[in-house]
Amino acid sequence: MNAAATAAPALSVKGITVGYQGVPAVRDLSFEVHPGEILALLGPNGAGKTTTLLASVGALPVMSGQISALGAPIDRRIERTSRRGLALVPDSRGVFRQLRVQENLALSKRRGGPPVESVFDHFPKLKTLLRQTCGNLSGGEQQMLALGKVMLQEPKVLLIDELSMGLSPIAVQDILPRLRAIATEQAIAVVLVEQHIDLALAIADTSLVLHHGRVALAGPAERLRRDRQLVEAAYFGTTESNHQPQMERR
Amino acid sequence: MSVFIQFVFLGLTLGAVYSVFATSLVGVYAATGIVNFAQGSVALWAAYTVAALRTDGTLVLPFGGSLRFGDVTSPMPMVLAVVVGVLSAGLLALLAHLLVFRPLRSAPPLANVAASVGLMLFLQALVVLRFDTDALFAQPVLPFKTFTLGNVVVNASDLIMGGTAVLVALLLWAYFRLTTTGVATRAASEDELAARLVGFSPDRLAAVVWVVTAMASGLIVVLGAYTIGLDPTSYTYYVVPALAVALVGRLTSFGVACAAGLLMGAFQAVLLWANTLEWWPSWAQAGLGDAIPFVVVVIALFVLGGKIPARGALTQVAMPEVRIPRLRPLPVAGVVGLAALAIALTSDSWRFGIVTSLILSLIALSLVLLTGYLGQISLASMAFAGTAGFTLSKATTEWHVPFPISIVLSAGLATLLGVGVGIPALRIRGAQLAVVTLAAAFAIQSFVFNNPSFTPYSGNLIGTPNLFGLDLSVRRGTDLITLRFSMLVLVVVTTTTLVVMRWMAGSTGRSFLAVRSNERAAASVGINVAATKLLGFALSAFLSGVAGCLIGYSRGQLSAASFSVVAGLSLLAIAYCGGITSVGGALVAGFIGPLGVFYVFLNQTLDLGQYYQVISAGGLLLMAVTNPVGAAGANAEMLRRLRRRRSEHSSTSARTPTVAPAKGLTSKVETHV
Repeated sequence: MNAAATAAPALSVKGITVGYQGVPAVRDLSFEVHPGEILALLGPNGAGKTTTLLASVGALPVMSGQISALGAPIDRRIERTSRRGLALVPDSRGVFRQLRVQENLALSKRRGGPPVESVFDHFPKLKTLLRQTCGNLSGGEQQMLALGKVMLQEPKVLLIDELSMGLSPIAVQDILPRLRAIATEQAIAVVLVEQHIDLALAIADTSLVLHHGRVALAGPAERLRRDRQLVEAAYFGTTESNHQPQMERR
Repeated sequence: MSVFIQFVFLGLTLGAVYSVFATSLVGVYAATGIVNFAQGSVALWAAYTVAALRTDGTLVLPFGGSLRFGDVTSPMPMVLAVVVGVLSAGLLALLAHLLVFRPLRSAPPLANVAASVGLMLFLQALVVLRFDTDALFAQPVLPFKTFTLGNVVVNASDLIMGGTAVLVALLLWAYFRLTTTGVATRAASEDELAARLVGFSPDRLAAVVWVVTAMASGLIVVLGAYTIGLDPTSYTYYVVPALAVALVGRLTSFGVACAAGLLMGAFQAVLLWANTLEWWPSWAQAGLGDAIPFVVVVIALFVLGGKIPARGALTQVAMPEVRIPRLRPLPVAGVVGLAALAIALTSDSWRFGIVTSLILSLIALSLVLLTGYLGQISLASMAFAGTAGFTLSKATTEWHVPFPISIVLSAGLATLLGVGVGIPALRIRGAQLAVVTLAAAFAIQSFVFNNPSFTPYSGNLIGTPNLFGLDLSVRRGTDLITLRFSMLVLVVVTTTTLVVMRWMAGSTGRSFLAVRSNERAAASVGINVAATKLLGFALSAFLSGVAGCLIGYSRGQLSAASFSVVAGLSLLAIAYCGGITSVGGALVAGFIGPLGVFYVFLNQTLDLGQYYQVISAGGLLLMAVTNPVGAAGANAEMLRRLRRRRSEHSSTSARTPTVAPAKGLTSKVETHV
């Protein structure tokens, strides 16, 4: 993955402060993700992970700082950004429960992009569910659909919010390695927000732990995999002041 | 039997209008989550545009001047005129989308109701101002041919209308089911952010639906106007039966909405026929057709049950914030003293305006209680007031009930009615409840107020109020409105307002607010949600009833026009913009309300009385768009900012800027760390 890291970053976040109604939820956050690289964005509830992802696609205005993706700054026209190749799977999964599976897929189909059938290579089960209303699918099936949908959009940057939400750990174990394969194969830059720390770190290249909207810990995923105490300390916020000077930045 | 079928076919034209309006409403709801009360007035504009073009080639613009495309001898050709008329409806809808509804996308549902009601009133007033409505008539567009089916003579135009309605429904259905943009529109109404993430702009998708449905509604009215007749009010309010049938289809089914619309038209036509039958009771000869939508709505929503899908949006904004009223003697005395002074210093029309404003503020207060505090949107307040007013007429002239008891009795009857109208609120909420209450208001207006069996044409006189031998009548000699009567109104309004404020600040108000914010949570802490809602409707209807009685006493004689549904609608919209969650908002609403002080000011001082509806509805729209949470909400926000600034000034030395939140206080232990 080192070869990929030398190329220009696909997503670059520089010193952003984002929040709601003038109250910042994330302060002075910076990170970069390169093509083919997976960044695990970790942290306890309310750390600002979802806020960061929403700001990265332009769904939340930044109070200060800059975000650019694929060589252009992000603005508030989400739909245009999306068609440029920046995709977000929100924690609500972004599937339309009232539409059928095939309608869901049809909306994500891009002109000149891969055909709808290509989704079945990764998720063969979806083929049997095409005519089902999406709300009737199980959580795992919806998650497959969410990933399948987003693959049709041919993203170059993929942001995923809590893929494991409402899924059994076994289903997560299935789905995350597949994500790893896709990211490497198609050189997609991935930001993965996860509650299952171990599973996320297992497939990530780099990682970042947020606490109270600030970076509590950042570094190669491998280092965090080895040193669990570091992660736990970051989760409880005890590193916030103590470890700040030594905090590693890439 | 053949006569019966004949009338069924005659009803097709009206039914087609209902049907297209209904399918349009379903389309707009699917795309935007808005129940568009202005569907009829947009179509009305198209119909008058065509009528003017066909009369002397004048293309009337909404503002400014007008363009000429011919003269009386050679007006614009039919097809071209129809095209221009239909386009004008599409354009108006596009403007409405861009200027009104798009800015309100994330506003509370009530803001959308207020805005679409405001738009409806605004467009209707604009039609009356801009077109010579007395002189313009609709000219035939469809062929006059008739043919016989069995032994029934059928107009070709009726069939074409019915066919158009079915076609519109079919096309809309196909758009939403079979095209990618249509599917995306449905997707966007379910989850706006997700739709944008897939690459679709909900705004643009909504704009398409606004324009297309407005053009369809415009077309059907233009085609049917010759048969149905053209006047500036009826089409505006055809939105009520249309909403009723749209609700039968759960606001989601084009097919059901279309069929139910056609059936409703046929049924109303058959009722007309039934009026000619000997055994048909006289009380049922007037207004029954207008009462049907209410029956249909109640059956569709309450009896059949079932849920109407609500729209999911990026940001869900709750109802406007509430400020609990505090009874402080000084401000209360100040306001009452000011009102008393104003009454004492004025006379005739100005004093009448002040008294009317006082009474209207009582009706607005009933809305604050019901809508602002309990979160139930009711458009029937004027109907409650009217019920009390007409009961008062009977009570004082026929049953000779003495003064204070007469008010209690009449308002009591209004209360019963309020509870009746409130029953559907146990099952439905939001804009759908607004539709039910509007249908109820129309049913009551047409079937009771306008029904000579209940309210004779000869007039509904009201006896003069006497208290312990003191004559409190409104007029004496040439005095249009006596000081005594004005003071009586002031006393009644003040006392009721104070009592209501006390309730709002106490446990009643708390339970109302609990139900407003979350019914399930309220139930879980032991609040009887159903009883609370009915209590809200009862109290609100009682207040409206008292106000209705005061209106009755102040006029001395009542007609249905005293309590028109329109007046009720504008009052709700004004109350919303004034601040539906505060007593102050009710006072503001009374001030601006129909025939109140603001009207007198426009009429007497500026001589602009004819512009009252346009000005108030336009101002209303402006208010709704700029302050989606109501003026009181904006004021509260401003006050808070001022206070914050002042406190920052006074304590800059004491405060140190704290950047990092206190450590250890908020860290939550994640079990799966």
